[in-house]
Amino acid sequence: MLNPLQRRMLTRRLLQTVPVLILATFSVFMLLKLLPGDVAITLAGENASAERIAEIRQNYGLDKPLLIQYATWAWNALQGDLSSSLLSGEEVTTTLARVFPNTLFIVCYAILISIVLGVPLGILAAARAGGLADRMVMLLSSIGVALPNFWIAMIFVVAFALNRTWFPATGFVSPFEDPLRAIWYATLPAVALAASGVAEVSRQLRSSLVEILQSQHFRTLHAKGLPFRSILWKHGLRNVSVNLLTVISLLVNRTLAATVVVEVVFAIPGMGNTIVNATLQRDFPVVQGAVLAMVLTVITVNLVTDMLYSVLDPRISQQ
Amino acid sequence: MRKTRTQTINALPPLRRRQVLAGMAGVAAAGLLPRGAFAQDGNVLKIRGNANPSSLDPATGGAGSDHVYLYNFYDTLVDWEPETLAPKPGLAASWEFPEPKTLVLKLQEGVTFHDGSPFNAEAVKFNLDRARTAGVSNIKSDVANIAEVEATDELTVTLTLSAPDTALPLILSDRAGMMISPDALGNDPEATVEREPVGTGPWTFGSWTDGEKITGSRFEDHWREGVPGVDNVEFVIIPETATGLRAIQSGQVNIAYQLDERQQQLIDKMPNLTLVSGPTLYIYQLYVNSARGALQDVRVRRALSLAIDREAYVAATQAGVGEVATMNLPQAHWAWSEAASKHVYHDPEEARRLLEEAGYGDGLELDFRGYPDQASVQRQEVLMAQWKKIGVTGRFRNAPIAEVAGAFFGEEKAGDLLLSAWTGRPDPSLTYALLYSEESYYNPGRVTPPEGYMEALQASRESTDQADRAAALARVQDIAMEAHLSIPLSIRYEVDATGEAVTDFVANLLGKPKFRDVKLG
Repeated sequence: MLNPLQRRMLTRRLLQTVPVLILATFSVFMLLKLLPGDVAITLAGENASAERIAEIRQNYGLDKPLLIQYATWAWNALQGDLSSSLLSGEEVTTTLARVFPNTLFIVCYAILISIVLGVPLGILAAARAGGLADRMVMLLSSIGVALPNFWIAMIFVVAFALNRTWFPATGFVSPFEDPLRAIWYATLPAVALAASGVAEVSRQLRSSLVEILQSQHFRTLHAKGLPFRSILWKHGLRNVSVNLLTVISLLVNRTLAATVVVEVVFAIPGMGNTIVNATLQRDFPVVQGAVLAMVLTVITVNLVTDMLYSVLDPRISQQ
Repeated sequence: MRKTRTQTINALPPLRRRQVLAGMAGVAAAGLLPRGAFAQDGNVLKIRGNANPSSLDPATGGAGSDHVYLYNFYDTLVDWEPETLAPKPGLAASWEFPEPKTLVLKLQEGVTFHDGSPFNAEAVKFNLDRARTAGVSNIKSDVANIAEVEATDELTVTLTLSAPDTALPLILSDRAGMMISPDALGNDPEATVEREPVGTGPWTFGSWTDGEKITGSRFEDHWREGVPGVDNVEFVIIPETATGLRAIQSGQVNIAYQLDERQQQLIDKMPNLTLVSGPTLYIYQLYVNSARGALQDVRVRRALSLAIDREAYVAATQAGVGEVATMNLPQAHWAWSEAASKHVYHDPEEARRLLEEAGYGDGLELDFRGYPDQASVQRQEVLMAQWKKIGVTGRFRNAPIAEVAGAFFGEEKAGDLLLSAWTGRPDPSLTYALLYSEESYYNPGRVTPPEGYMEALQASRESTDQADRAAALARVQDIAMEAHLSIPLSIRYEVDATGEAVTDFVANLLGKPKFRDVKLG
């Protein structure tokens, strides 16, 4: 299925992920250790004695040198054991299996909205470049890019969950349990997340399309008597597909990061909420496991994007 | 192939504005489809939980926010009146001190644990011994005064104490008094029920999904008449208060407790919500290191306290929801003392005079410590503005709680004053012992308390009569406040919101609500 060039690229990319993974998890580990606060004090309770705190540190291996702690974690992680939460005792792999699909569902929903709305708006703006529609789309997308997700989220909650009770204000239903209710619960958070996505996709698509439509190549097509419609659909969109793919892959990664805030606003039991709570409580196995999962996702998205580049434009894998 | 694709693309119609709008409407409509599916289950009491519990085993957990969950699955040996925290019977139907170092508990008859095993003196002995000695216990210090536990007969437990301690009944209203089924622990004190609590409480444990929800269902054999008021209970864990308020506003939960004081105004404006509010033991105060520089002089400490207009402080920092604190207890508490409250009032003239007398007429610069969150910084600004009027200046150095508290109370002894809070303890004698005893962690300068203080404190633990205890504690508070060993500022009020169907929910002075009597109308 893959040609030798693509296979070589895949191998190279896979090898590059190893240092990225080590660097990401190690820096998060060190950052957590730099933060003031001690999980042993949290675990020991309100009136704990110094001996009890020391005992807890010893039980959890928190008294060992930092490098040893990291190496132990990394070695276990390599064997698929991400250890357990220091606070709840739940295995980190179980936690991730529970919360990660929720985040992925909302991210995919948001990306879908970004594409479904962003692409037509971008085409519309490019096709009517300089016209009223173009200016409206650009105005809206400027607003979309400028407004923070969490603020949009809160405005949506007030408008569509409190004033008009069309959608629930908080909470989440798993798509595996009840797909329709899952969509209903995820709509407001997904739309809030997608606001900047729609803006980004339409802006980028518009500017690439406008640029291409003004190129000599397209002037020639026009001179040959091709109708504008077929120039736009047949030649224009294919030429901007690589740009669009780049925008979407960047968007996936950014949306994944934006869930940290939006999940808190909507009380969604996803990765964002898990990372925020675990960080506040210095529950480092959970933070480490979650970061590892996020990094792996980003790497996978980038890898898939790279492979798709070479499908869309074979020149890329030859370079 | 190539031809077909070209044809397909060419066959596509151009995109019109109308079609774009229709597409947008379609996406919105898709979200509206399952609206009918959203309805409150009438027999489930849904409560917004503030934090994921640290553990559902009362002896191994550590967070103050756990109690709200634990009360549903466990009963305590001693209960308290919600308004005053005066002790009243719980699993122990009565108790007495036949002599100062012996406490005898008579247990309720006919109580069983959720697993069907009987609740009796042996079970109490097992639990108290586990709390005192087990390696897994986090509450050893709470019950440090218990030297021996004896199951005298089926329903009588005798505790031998190492020192007279009449604070013990109220200590048994807290974690130490929550009884776990010994069978559920396999009669092994080192075992835990952190994820599957088994007690005698109004609801049996259903499930706990971390950071998401905790459920319980009615315990049919519960010993109290008409308890619980609702068949099922479900805690939806939402740490963020604004999100919590939105959850109750939209009807997704029935009760949201411990909301922010500033949210009271919002709750008042929402027609479908009822506000439940009242004082708590949580008190905003300044911890004073009386071993440092100018603060060694009681006149300086007194001046700092008199300079503060506490009414204005409550209005500015708590949106008027709260009360002025004149000691380390709220006015509603059974041990609050009128005489002791006379030391704390607002008199900037007197404050200036005191500073002058102490030799700081030209001004005094102090090293303040605090926390960096927005609400804390606002409190600091109000205080600095008021102190400026008597010539006291300085700067707040802010850092996260663990870091600041470690530096201020620990070995480093950094900073003159710390703006923080005291969360309260079930028995006031614990509060006063922890705040001002010479070796106590919360006494940053480790200064010796004034003469007579420790004796008065001990006296408060020797009587069993509440009026006598209140009188003894009044003496304790009078000494502490006269010496201005800390500067109390204001009492935090519980701010809870209930939805339309909720009845019989009351706030309590401990600030940790119980839900067993709540009904859904």
